[in-house]
Amino acid sequence: MNQIIINLETPEIKVLEKVGEKDAIAKASKESVFRQISEGKAQFTASSSKAFALIIDGKSLQYALDDDMKKLFLELALGCASVICCRSSPKQKALVTRLVKAGTRKTTLAIGDGANDVGMLQEADIGIGISGVEGMQAVMSSDIAIAQFRFLDRLLLVHGHWCYRRISSMICYFFYKNMTFGFTVFLYEAHTSFSAKPAYNDWFLSLYNVVFTSLPVIALGIFDQDVSARFCLKFPLLYQEGVQNVLFSWRRIIGWMFNGLCSAIIIFFLCTNALDPQAFNKDGKIAEFQILGATMYTCLLWVVNCQMALAVGYLNVVQHICIWGGIGFWYLFLLAYGAMPPKISTTAYKVFVEGLALAPSFWVVTFFVVISALIPYFLYNAIQRRFFPTYHGMLQWIGHEGLSDDPKYCKMLNQRSIRSITVGFTALSLGKNQRWES
Amino acid sequence: MSSGGTNGASQASKKNSKKPKYSRFTQQDLPACKPILTPGWVITAFLSIGLVFIPIGLASLFASEHVVEIVDRYDEDCIPSNSASERLTYIQSTETNKTCIRNLIVPKKMKQPIYVYYQLDNFYQNHRRYVKSRSDLQLRSKEYERDTKTCEPERAHENEPIVPCGLVAWSLFNDTYGFSLNNKILQVNKKDIAWKSDKEHKFGSEVYPKNFQKGPLIGGGKLNESQPLSEQEDLIVWMRTAALPTFRKLYGKIEDDLEANEKITVVIQNNYNTYSFGGNKNLVLSTTSWIGGKNDFLGKAYIAVGGFCLFIVIGFILMYVIKPRPLGDPAFLSWNQNPDGHLN
Repeated sequence: MNQIIINLETPEIKVLEKVGEKDAIAKASKESVFRQISEGKAQFTASSSKAFALIIDGKSLQYALDDDMKKLFLELALGCASVICCRSSPKQKALVTRLVKAGTRKTTLAIGDGANDVGMLQEADIGIGISGVEGMQAVMSSDIAIAQFRFLDRLLLVHGHWCYRRISSMICYFFYKNMTFGFTVFLYEAHTSFSAKPAYNDWFLSLYNVVFTSLPVIALGIFDQDVSARFCLKFPLLYQEGVQNVLFSWRRIIGWMFNGLCSAIIIFFLCTNALDPQAFNKDGKIAEFQILGATMYTCLLWVVNCQMALAVGYLNVVQHICIWGGIGFWYLFLLAYGAMPPKISTTAYKVFVEGLALAPSFWVVTFFVVISALIPYFLYNAIQRRFFPTYHGMLQWIGHEGLSDDPKYCKMLNQRSIRSITVGFTALSLGKNQRWES
Repeated sequence: MSSGGTNGASQASKKNSKKPKYSRFTQQDLPACKPILTPGWVITAFLSIGLVFIPIGLASLFASEHVVEIVDRYDEDCIPSNSASERLTYIQSTETNKTCIRNLIVPKKMKQPIYVYYQLDNFYQNHRRYVKSRSDLQLRSKEYERDTKTCEPERAHENEPIVPCGLVAWSLFNDTYGFSLNNKILQVNKKDIAWKSDKEHKFGSEVYPKNFQKGPLIGGGKLNESQPLSEQEDLIVWMRTAALPTFRKLYGKIEDDLEANEKITVVIQNNYNTYSFGGNKNLVLSTTSWIGGKNDFLGKAYIAVGGFCLFIVIGFILMYVIKPRPLGDPAFLSWNQNPDGHLN
């Protein structure tokens, strides 16, 4: 890799230092640094396909960080694949971090293990402290503490990717389930001449987000893993999904909300058309507000929970318990709430035991509505995986097919960007490969 | 000696290691199922949905076809004049003769019990203010007779509380139907038309109607003051508010069989005023099956969705056969499709 070295060890500066005049030294040093930076920049712009490394020491950094020169310095530094600031003071470390943060408006990460890194750790968006030989100061002022430097790649590539995916999935799913719920209520309102009569019993409404649909979302946020840890490390390009904000784009959010809309429409219209106005059971009884409300709510809970099971690609014991247990809990709740005296349970009094459980149409309608509401998403998913697979989708397929050790597929998937780039992890590893090859 | 020494050294190094104990939970290594949507799974899923839905749909449609239903709208024909104001005076007056004779032809054999319903249209029994206007405590026990706060505006008459109070009870439906076949009266059984839980737990057997429909505005039927509320099944059925603006409520059961093409004469007392708000009144006679009344929608919907799934199966099979593509092709990587810059 080509190196651009900026230092003040030139003979002219040394002579001036012997003489001892501070102003002259400063002026000459500044000019020298400026010249070296400009030369470096010229080198770098001339050949844009090679990777460069910038090495600057603390003395030169002092001048490079002056207000009139720092923009130039930043441009040079950003164009290089690797920048090394050696012998810099803690304040300079923090200033460099601040310069990069403000100049690029990107998320910066700082890692350090000693007390001299504290300023830098606090300045960066994410500060990672390494606990160990140099004491605990870095750890105490950091956002995340790790034990050894080598754990950084696992932190970023595995946990970073998982965290990003979990948070974006959780938020999208949250919008979806509330959209479904709210829209069924809205559609019912349209049939009550908008008099604000909700479709469900009061306690059903209140407990929807708190009890019936809360645990699966929490389990999603804690446990979801789309790609195993081994694969995250093996295919580091997966991390780009987070960098480029693929999983939380507007398109995805609106897509989930639209899914909620469709589910709500399907639930509402299928339930009302199948159960009204004729009798719904053998005894000629009519499905009035209580029966219809409880049926719609049951369908809603099933749809929302099964959608979760469909959307995540990873179901461990805890998630199974949360999802299926949540649905089972709903039935228990109906029984318990319905058994309470009518003063408390108002419209839900014995609705399950007397009305719903014994009516085959309830079960038939629930089964139908749940499956029908999930078909659009399932279809979309099947088509997307076939024609527009995402990167993590491809990795899942590779894992499933057991082709993770097949060099041809690995090379295909590890293929970097088609455009040539000179910075970052890609350039570093390209440079590394070149060195090995030569 | 030496073995003791090495043991001591290894124990010391074990004590120094700060590596936390491995557990599947903390290392996020719990066994999990990771279903992946391969073409095989997609086809299997849609095929099984199709193959399960179509028979269920056919069974539902079959059951619905066996249900015989007669619907007769009588509110238009049972009122003598066409002008709105004359209609209102007719229906609101107590002097006019509200008897109306209708003839119904039985289309197919109807096995008993035949359920008699009245169907109202454009009647928002699910309006929030209306649903609120009742007092469940008062309905249940005599000691809460004065608990009428939620019953506005039908709370009290001449400072005495109305029992049962509220708009829901006040608007009780009061058309009556009498059926006869070949001049022989068909008995309509009006027992057990309400839900058992309502009769036993929501409407008290000690509560008697009081002051009911005594005010200037009469909203519906009157109640027998010597019968406790738990036996007033028409009221109980009416007070279980409907979900949608078009609804039916059970009037009674006919426990005789009716043969095809028989002519049933219905004597209707057209008392209930739906003319001031443009509502419809229908009389419905219906048998039931295991799935309830006559509704082709469920069966047809099942068959439609099942058919759609089978159609998708065929589509997918064609796609997989005509255009097989290994799923791991990186040409479809989103950032490789736009080589100049970042993706979306």
